[in-house]
Amino acid sequence: MEINVQGYKRVTVVTVTGRVDSVTYSEFENTLQAEMEQGKVNIALDFSGIEFISSAGLRVLVNARKTVKNAGGKIVIAQPSQQVIETLEIAGLEVLFEQFPDRETAIAAF
Amino acid sequence: MVKTHMKIDSHLDQIERVGRFIQEAAQDAGFDEMESYACELAVSEACENIILHGYGDDSTGEIEVSVQTEPDNITIELWDDAPTFDPVNCPTKLDPPIDDPPIGGLGLVIMHKVMDEMEYNRREGRNQLRMRRSRKPPA
Repeated sequence: MEINVQGYKRVTVVTVTGRVDSVTYSEFENTLQAEMEQGKVNIALDFSGIEFISSAGLRVLVNARKTVKNAGGKIVIAQPSQQVIETLEIAGLEVLFEQFPDRETAIAAF
Repeated sequence: MVKTHMKIDSHLDQIERVGRFIQEAAQDAGFDEMESYACELAVSEACENIILHGYGDDSTGEIEVSVQTEPDNITIELWDDAPTFDPVNCPTKLDPPIDDPPIGGLGLVIMHKVMDEMEYNRREGRNQLRMRRSRKPPA
């Protein structure tokens, strides 16, 4: 798994590629946590390069969503891979995360 | 009918190997890429449950995986020597509250959603989890 963070004026874009599973989720969680602790609560997740995401990754998403929501922010997903779409639908969580076809429209949502 | 078999140590970093094994078997059974992915996901969740909740601190355990495929059908059996753990009848909410879903039990939700049948047996002091899925017609 690889993570890249880019800060924009109103939004932070976090790009995650590879596998988000029970082995790697804590790195993803720590990255989001660090951003949120700095007050970055508007987050666009670029998930175009995710090959596999398990419930461990979904738990990070649900927890982060709760944190940013309580702070008046939101988390959206930009260009989710088919695997991300499939996992969210299977888990019944797709309604929780607004999805956008590309980064630009996701950034423009803030 | 094709039968294949593999074994892993009860370490989380071994689950990826099982996933690849399942995905290849599902594709051999004629499942498309996303149906194969769903099978990989469900079996990965089952293995994670066995390792974290079954074996717990015991890192010396093993999981045996056997797969039986026929055209349009896959049956997966997981065997382990951990204490009794029945994920089939474990209470889980398949329709969680939309805005605040419980984060525990997501793996079980995924397993139940993906598989058409799940059966748990305690046999000869071992846990046996049997999961079956048929290929779905394209939407």
